[in-house]
Parts: sequence; structure tokens; C-alpha cells
Amino acid sequence: MAFRLFKKSILMVLREKKQFTVFCLMYTILIFWTSYSIKLVLAQPGSGIASTSFFIALGVGIFLSLLYSWIIVRRNSKTIATLKCIGWTNRDLNSLISGFILFTTIIGFIIVIEVLFHYAAIVGYLEAATAELNPGYMISPLILPLVSLLPVFATFLIFLTFQIIAILLANRKVLKVRPIIALKRVGE
Amino acid sequence: MPVDKDTMIEAIDVNKEYRRAGAIIRALGDINLTIKSGEFVLVQGPTGCGKSTLLNVLSGIDLPDSGKIIFDGENIARAQEARLSKLRRQKIGFVFQDFNLIPTLTAIENIEALLWPTVLREKEIENRAIAALRDVNLLERKDHYPVQMSGGEKQRCGLARAIIHRPRVILADEPTGNLDPESEKQVMDLLKKINKDMETTIIVVTHRGSLSSYASKIIKMDKGVITNIQK
Repeated sequence: MAFRLFKKSILMVLREKKQFTVFCLMYTILIFWTSYSIKLVLAQPGSGIASTSFFIALGVGIFLSLLYSWIIVRRNSKTIATLKCIGWTNRDLNSLISGFILFTTIIGFIIVIEVLFHYAAIVGYLEAATAELNPGYMISPLILPLVSLLPVFATFLIFLTFQIIAILLANRKVLKVRPIIALKRVGE
Repeated sequence: MPVDKDTMIEAIDVNKEYRRAGAIIRALGDINLTIKSGEFVLVQGPTGCGKSTLLNVLSGIDLPDSGKIIFDGENIARAQEARLSKLRRQKIGFVFQDFNLIPTLTAIENIEALLWPTVLREKEIENRAIAALRDVNLLERKDHYPVQMSGGEKQRCGLARAIIHRPRVILADEPTGNLDPESEKQVMDLLKKINKDMETTIIVVTHRGSLSSYASKIIKMDKGVITNIQK
């Protein structure tokens, strides 16, 4: 049942095209920024710029997660109230809202991974193409990824934590939505 | 609690007050009424007379300050939210004035949504939704979004959502308030048909006197009290 609600939340969030695209893009940029900052911190321990960038990324990340959860509940308050009227429990609604939040972040993460794979592929291709045109050119034996696996994995854990906080906040807000809102007239 | 087996809903000494801008407004005062199974009840009265509040407390959407609401033999006046949700999912169908369809879902998905949190299989839910759409003559619109439907079609979709789980009672708050006369007749005829064919108790809140011919009981309200009950 919870899996079905998660599936339905994906269906619903994908149909909110504008909101989904904007937040997905923002998460993608933030996840990349955080991963890259972690890479810099690991590469140059003690670097002020790298750690400042990392902490700014974290701050923006938590702010965006909380903002997204607030927007989702706020924009869907009438839908939530209607679903409560027709018999959905707070638990059912929490599954749905959690799906909205998690799916957007997961897609942002997948896009970052895709970009990193494509970066490596493009660099490899260019190296090979250059070597083909210039017989003397030495192909680099090691193509360094833009961001290695450790910073990406650490970023995933950080954003997962942010999303859990956002889900808890959204769940509290869902509890406060009264079903009676569904019966209020527009403008009343 | 001994109750007449034909009694669907009973309100006993129900009171409800609101606080608005510092003033206390009595929305319901000492309401006593009995609605029997299979009745078609109209609750009529001017704006602000408490008829929507009555509907809300009868369905457990709002709780009374005092008194009892016996719904199908169970006092729901002090029930927990989880219990009330279960009761609404199993026994009550809602029809809203503003239709309250979810804009990101198609007609059939809006109807199915009621049963998504249940253990029923997807195919069973789909079959029930199709049957409900057929009952309200809206099957050809099943894949349309609310924005692609007229007011009458949206309300018929809302009606299909209200009957998908075969409820004991349908509560309708001004169901024809946003409809043209032709759509109003279609919706009221459908409610009457559901009342007759499925023996569902129907409670309609309206300020329109023109709907009286559909009712088997008319409750008139004014200033939070029942002024008259006609059978």
C-alpha cells in the first residue's frame, strides 16, 4: 500500500511539470556544487575557499529542502484536505508527500551521476580522437573524473538527511491541515 | 447503545460554537434529529444558518462542542481522527460544491484515489472506478483532466468518486451551487437514482428551494437551530 502511494506520488509530481523541473534543476546544481566542494576540501585540506563553498552549499541545500516541503504542503493543502475528507489518514498522506520530496531529490542525484559519466566519456572520446589525428599524441592512461565517487556518495548521504528533515517538517504540516478546508468556498 | 436498526445518523443535543474576531457565534444550538437509512434529506436555510456546520459534524469532519452524533450505531462525537478517516472511507461519500477534483489526476484517477490507500488490487480499483463512471454516464471522459471538463461533468466525476466504495451515506454540500440548471437536474437525478438503486442515504445541503421535490425529508434551519422538519 505504501509502495502504491509512492508510485502515485511519482505520477502526481511528474505532472506538476513546472514545479518539478525548477526544483529538480536546483537540486541538481546543489548536489553537484556540494560534491565538487567536498572534492576540493579533500584535495586541499585547510583551504578557506573550499570549506566556505562547502558550508554555503550545505546551507542552501537545507534551505531549499525545507522550502520545497513547505511549498508542497502549502500548494496542495486543498488536495490534502479533500483526501482527508474522503478517508485518507495522516499516514497515507505522509507517504504521498514523502514520495513527492524524495523523488525530486533522487532525480536530481541521478542527473548529477549522468553528467559525471558523460563528462568522463566525453574526455575519453576527445583523448582518443586527438590521438587518432596526431599519431605522436600520448593518451592519458588515467582519465580523472570531475568528481570522484567518495564526494558524490557523501553528498547523497547529506541530502538524504536534509530530505528526512524536510519530510518530518512536511508531515507536521500535513497534520495541521484540517479536512474542513475542503468544504470552504473559494474566497470564503 | 440501543438504536433503531433503520436509524443511520442521530444527533442528540448537538451544540457548536465558533469564535470569530473575538465574538462567539452559535453555529448549532441543541440540534436533535434522526436520519433513517435510505432517506433523501435536504437541509435548507439561508447563508450562515449552520447547515454546512451540521453536515460537517454529522460526517466527523468537525467535532461538536457537546452532544452525541450516532453514526450507524457508533458515537463519533469524540472519536479519534484515524477512526473518523476509516469511517469516512468505508461509509461516507462526499460531494463538494467546488468539485475538489485533483487537477493533476485524470477523471478515473480522481475516482480511484479514494481506494489507493486500501489493500484492493489495482485492477479491482480500476474496475470499480469504471463502473462508477458508467453509473454517472461519464465513461467517455475517463482520461480527461478536470480542466478539460465542464462544471456538470466535474460534478458527475465527484459523484462517481463518492460512490466508488458503495457508501452507506452520501453527504453533498451545495452540489449544484456552481452548475447551470441543466447540469443541476442531471446531478440531482443521479443522486436520486443512487438513493433508489443503492439504497444510499443522501443528505444534501442547499439554499435552493427548487430541489425540494427530490427529498423525502426537508430540514429547515435558521440561526443554528432546526426550525422545521417536513416529511
